[in-house]
Amino acid sequence: MPPSEGSGPRAPRRQAPRASDRLRRLLALVPYLIRHPGTPVVEAAALFELSERELLDDLDRLFLSGLPPYGPGDLIDVEIQDGRIWIRMADYFARPLRLTRSEALALYLRGTALAGTPGLAVAPALASALDKLAEGLGPETLGGLPERVDAAGGGREVEQLGLLRQAAADHERLRIEYYAASTAEITVRDIDPEGVFFDLGNWYVVGWDHRSDSERLFRVDRIRSVDGTGARFEPRGLPGAGRPLYTPSRDDVEVRLRLAPEARWVAEYYETTEQVELEDGRLEVALPAGRLEWLERLLLRLGPGAEIVAPEGLKDRVRELAVRTRKRYG
Amino acid sequence: MHPLERLVNLVALLLESPRPLTFDEIKEKLSEAYGHPDVNSAKRMFERDKDVLRDIGVPIEVVPVDVWEAEQGYAIRKDTYYLPEISFDAEEISALLVAARSGGDESTDAVRKLLAGAEGILAGPAGSGLGEVAGGPDPRLAAAGDAVAASRRVRFPYRTARGESSERTVDAYGLVVRGGHWYLVGRDLDRGEIRSFRLSRMAAEPTDLGEGSAAPEGFRASDHVQAGPWGAGEPGSAALVAFAPDVAWWAPKGIAAARVVRTREDGWTEISVPFQPGESLASWVLSFGPDAEALEPPELREEVVRRLEATLAAL
Repeated sequence: MPPSEGSGPRAPRRQAPRASDRLRRLLALVPYLIRHPGTPVVEAAALFELSERELLDDLDRLFLSGLPPYGPGDLIDVEIQDGRIWIRMADYFARPLRLTRSEALALYLRGTALAGTPGLAVAPALASALDKLAEGLGPETLGGLPERVDAAGGGREVEQLGLLRQAAADHERLRIEYYAASTAEITVRDIDPEGVFFDLGNWYVVGWDHRSDSERLFRVDRIRSVDGTGARFEPRGLPGAGRPLYTPSRDDVEVRLRLAPEARWVAEYYETTEQVELEDGRLEVALPAGRLEWLERLLLRLGPGAEIVAPEGLKDRVRELAVRTRKRYG
Repeated sequence: MHPLERLVNLVALLLESPRPLTFDEIKEKLSEAYGHPDVNSAKRMFERDKDVLRDIGVPIEVVPVDVWEAEQGYAIRKDTYYLPEISFDAEEISALLVAARSGGDESTDAVRKLLAGAEGILAGPAGSGLGEVAGGPDPRLAAAGDAVAASRRVRFPYRTARGESSERTVDAYGLVVRGGHWYLVGRDLDRGEIRSFRLSRMAAEPTDLGEGSAAPEGFRASDHVQAGPWGAGEPGSAALVAFAPDVAWWAPKGIAAARVVRTREDGWTEISVPFQPGESLASWVLSFGPDAEALEPPELREEVVRRLEATLAAL
């Protein structure tokens, strides 16, 4: 996926960093540069999430550092030539500082979650990196964590993901067959895929949908087929990972439900605009909905656990669906 | 002297010194940094610097330098300062960068240190997968990870999926990530059994209560987290569900043990899915409306019908 401007998960911090933050970074940057002589400035800056200016500012501080008596032969030698960096006379900084316990735990946990993400291209490499990390750091840093943390439910291949990634990278318009949960039907549509991302257990492709002429998210596991059209598109810079999974629309209807305890998961799972605790222990929620078909099915699933307050007519639709479903059972 | 230079020089000095140095010795060698005419303010500056170094994990030790223990020296031991050698190939280090970016927490600092062990010059972090995973720092995950790593007992306010809130005291045994959510698994001391707790339902991060009990022999954290739409644990037997053509191709995707049995002449597909008694599988079947029909076992069929009747009666 090409990095789209301004939509990255985090913009680099802009406020002046504290000396401790700069030191922390420098004690990692210097070993990297010593061990990778001739690293281009631009690459080092990207790796350490710095602007080139910030990187050069930090390196400037090194010229005057070293060992006593701080004569010319005792100072760290930083050479920047043709946009590349060499650091010499600082063998004592050729190895980085140990990972703190919380740094190591944080990385191990994030890594485990990703290694178990089906369809993520880096997952296998991540698994071997975590093994090396566990072996290299040992229980003194990681405690018993490696044996006690587990990613479950992963490992399934995600069809179409490769095609979607490629089309997003190439800006190629696609024709997809898609099961739209909102209307509970299969649709064929042309989309301009701008990126794929993984959130809360599912893969999504974000793109422009020419059928509705609007920005849409599509669940990758509901895409039945993908065909290239050969047509190219100009990306609109649609936001990817980290965006809300539901995009409100002016045409949304407000659905109000009263949820019994066994149906409260709905309030966690779907976007709500209001949640009110009722005296009787139920939770009243307001959900924005563009279409009602998915709600009919949700309500069929919840049964008497959810009471419909609004809109008018939703009860009739659920009743009709329940009758049709009931017929299957003679 | 710029604080960054002073700090770098202090680390280099103590790291390369063959023996602990007293403050007077440090002051003499780093006269430009700590040569303030007022010894007290120089000492205060040194103390502050020492705190900064400790704060970022530099292991400064304070040791007596004479037999009477009258004077203290400062030392950084190489074996506690240096990261052990761990080398990663380009793919592995890119993968770790992707993981760290998805966290946005201390894992970023961790990967930066590990970069020194990367084989070859990396072509920037433009590895595939960057920006593909949503996430953010979560203090509950950090605290739960810490508790699991060290087998600690923790307490936290928890709200169940059914909306009941209470304080829980738990011996932390394991962590599981499933469907994008983290779960802490451990012995719930008030309930006397092993339970799982979704981190997103903790109203605050777990606080440490001291050492906890050890997990039982053969414990597997993932056994205690809901395995699918039908309930916890390993499925006991199989159920047979038929799906209409529009949904049959995706319906079983999220279910690891699902198996297509046959496609009928009417175009419907019969799929075998794990079955455990209870209501959950029936509710999953109902979520497909008239596009799914529970075929076997009979108790599943009956449960689906019972729920439909109840729904119709309540409307």
